[in-house]
Order: sequence, then structure tokens, then C-alpha cells
Amino acid sequence: MTTDKEVLIKVEGLEKKFDNLEVLKGIDLEIDKGDVIVIIGASGSGKSTFLRCLNLLEEPTGGKILFEGTDITDPQVDINLHRQKMGMVFQQFNLFPHMTVLQNMVIGPIRLLKKSRKEAEENAMALLEQVGLSDRYDAYPSQLSGGQKQRVAIVRALCMNPDMLLFDEPTSALDPEMVGEVLDVMKKLARNGMTMAVVTHEMGFAREVGTQVIFIDEGVIVEQNKPDEFFDNPQSPRLRDFLSKVL
Amino acid sequence: MEQFFKDFGESFYNNLIYEDRWLQLLEGLGLTLLIALLATALGLALGFIVAIIRSSYDMNIKGKKKKGFGVFVMKVLNVICNIYITVIRGTPVLIQVMIMYFIIFGEAQNGTLAAILSFGINSGAYVAEIVRSGIMSIDKGQFEASRSIGFNYRSTMMLIILPQALKNVLPALGNEFIVLLKETSVAGYAATHELTYVGNLIRSRTYEAFFPLVSVAVIYLVLVIILSWLLKMLERRLRNSDH
Repeated sequence: MTTDKEVLIKVEGLEKKFDNLEVLKGIDLEIDKGDVIVIIGASGSGKSTFLRCLNLLEEPTGGKILFEGTDITDPQVDINLHRQKMGMVFQQFNLFPHMTVLQNMVIGPIRLLKKSRKEAEENAMALLEQVGLSDRYDAYPSQLSGGQKQRVAIVRALCMNPDMLLFDEPTSALDPEMVGEVLDVMKKLARNGMTMAVVTHEMGFAREVGTQVIFIDEGVIVEQNKPDEFFDNPQSPRLRDFLSKVL
Repeated sequence: MEQFFKDFGESFYNNLIYEDRWLQLLEGLGLTLLIALLATALGLALGFIVAIIRSSYDMNIKGKKKKGFGVFVMKVLNVICNIYITVIRGTPVLIQVMIMYFIIFGEAQNGTLAAILSFGINSGAYVAEIVRSGIMSIDKGQFEASRSIGFNYRSTMMLIILPQALKNVLPALGNEFIVLLKETSVAGYAATHELTYVGNLIRSRTYEAFFPLVSVAVIYLVLVIILSWLLKMLERRLRNSDH
């Protein structure tokens, strides 16, 4: 996809301990611009924790995360500025229920990027149009279906014009018939060159748009490969075992 | 029967009309409203500050091995807030009013101000716990979503958490306002001529209890009914997004 490689995020020896429980035991990973990294693994393997460490929603207890050249684990760094460039989409959507769809989308750009309301709203409406929800701008989140909520949540992240998006099991809380509409939006994003890190159980998605698939087990990356190799020719027994259960 | 109506009318006249006693009641009502209103404002301000300190401490510092000056300040503030809530909730409001008036104000002899301060400080402790419960009731995902967009802790509180928390606790807060309004009836102990004090004063002049006390009761009742109605309107407005 991209010819010239530009490293967006570099993770070195990332560790996370909750009290005495070691969840991440030293993870190294490089994500280039335009990469779609799909992270899979059993529940409790540390894959979500890893993703949440990338924007410091979980504070790592060791290692470094270089995002666009800055070590964001350094306490001196203003993490809020970096988070603006790293959108996140959650399993439970986490839309703000006291705001309409449009308000959800413009609050960040207006307050943080200091855009005018008009500019922010126009941009938000254009993005809503792309996910087929422009007629729902005035609705409250409680009036939307799960799939619609998640599409709005993706647009909310996009409104900040991020350099990268993190997806934490974006389709796991959806009814089966709504998974497709969310995956379609994500695929479109991937094809348009958005850098993404996606924790998911959707193997079809991983195979179709992933540039790299990584398998995390017991807090370490057990295997990392291009999707075809990863799924057709898994090397480690643990991955083979995992794939045999989910495919 | 005729005699009864005659007595009734005479009693009404003596207790409410003679020497402009209705006017005294009205002035008492004004003072009651003044105390309740300013105490509510003070209670809300105090309560929000204490609630934010306590819940910020619970969410960010409690059980974590953080160090630094900011953490130390938060720990001290949290201890102060806990002592405040314990002492205020643990002692009768009447005693608090009297301590404020006779000990803290001492020579100053300003009963109304003493009443406003003590009811405000008293209400603050209850408001703090109500608001804190509201903050704690908001899903953690709301914090995370807001922080992931890039909002700092303060903006997250002001824009995302408090508006939702407030909506959730509005009925409980309304209840607290109603209690506060009626509690001001003990402000007479601080030599304040509020509604209850005036009613009791009239009773002591006329040696008749019925009209002064029932009038006072009816006035409180009407106030509370109006207040409840206002709160209901506010709740309905805030509930817009629930559908």
C-alpha cells in the first residue's frame, strides 16, 4: 500500500502490571503510517490492555511508546495533545448521552481544535454523510441502534482529524446483523489509508484489510505476520490452537 | 353555631390582622426565603467542591502509588472534606446554628448571617454526598471516551460528567432543598425573626395557638409545593435526551 515507510508509533518493551498481575510482559511493535494492525488473542491475553496503553488510558508500568517521535510515557509530555491525534473507538460506543449526534461530534473540534462551530458542523455533516447517517444528526444516542451508535462513535473520532485510530473490539457488543455496517465503515477507512490498530474477533476483517496481524497470548506477541501467512500457515502451536477454535 | 363563627372571626382578627400581624408573618417569610436561598447557593457551591475533591481522590489517587506535591495536596484536601462531612452530618443542625451564633459570631450578633452560614455549611455536606453519588454513577467509559478525544480531567468533569451526574441526582438534590427550606425554622434560636419565630411570637402574644401555627404551616406547605413544581419542570427539561 504505502511505498515509503514512515513510522507512526514505536513500542519498546511495553509492560503493564496490575498490582502483582503481569498483563503485558514486554511488547515491541512498530506501526507505520497506513498500516492496519489487527490484534487478536483470547480474552485475558492482554490485547485490550495493550491497545489501551497506546493512548495511555492504561498507564504502562514499563517500556516506551514513541508516537510521532515523542515518548508519550514520559510524565512531562502533555498526553492530551497526543490523544487528539489518536482517536479511539470503544466496544461500548461511549457516546455522550446528554448530547445529540452532532454535538457529540463537534465538541472536540470546537473546544480543543478551536474550530468555528460552522466549520466543525460542516465537517461533521460531511463525515456523517459518508457513513450514511446524515439524517440522524439531531438524534440522541439513545434513539440509535447499536450499529448506528458505533458508526457515530467512529465519526466522532474522525472529526478530530486524527493520525491514527484505535479500535477496542468495535463489533463485540453489536447484534450480528449490525456487525457488517460497522465493518464496512472500517474497511473504507482502511482503504483510504487511515492508520489503524484494531482489537477484534472478526477474522474476515483481519484477512481482508489487515496489513499485519498479531497474536497476543499471556502478555507477549506470540506471532506477527501478514494476514495470508498468519492464517494459512501459523507457526506457533498456541496460535494454531487458537485459530482452530475461532475459525 | 353563631357563637362559633363569631369567636372564629375574632380569633382570626386578633392573630392575623390586629397590629398588622399578617405583615409580620410576611416579613418572616421574606427572611425565611432569604436564608433558604442564600444557604442553598452556599450549600451547592460547597457541595460541588467537596464532591469533586472526594470523587477525584477516589478515582485518581486512592490505592495508587502516586507521589508528588499535587497528590499530597489532594490527600490533605480529601481528609479535610471527610472530617467536614463527618462532623456536619454527625451533629444536629440546631446545635450548629447555636454554635455559629453564640460561639463563632459571639459579639457580632448577626443572626441572619449566622443562620445563612450554618445552613449553607450544613447543606453542603449533604449536597456533596448527593453529587458524589451522581459522579460515581456515570459509566467509566464516559471518562475514557472524553479523555481519548483529548479533553483534560477538568474539561471532562465540566462538559461530560457533571451534566450527566446532575441530571441523575436532581430528585435527590430537590429533596435536600426542601429539607433545607423547612430546617430554617430553627433559625429563631439565632435571634432571627423568620417565619416560624414570628408565628410563635404571635402565639405568645395572643395566647392562641391555632391561627399563628396553622398559618405558618400553610405557608411552608405552599412554598414546598411551588418548589416541587419548579423542580419537576427542571427535571422534565433535562430529561429531553432520554426519550
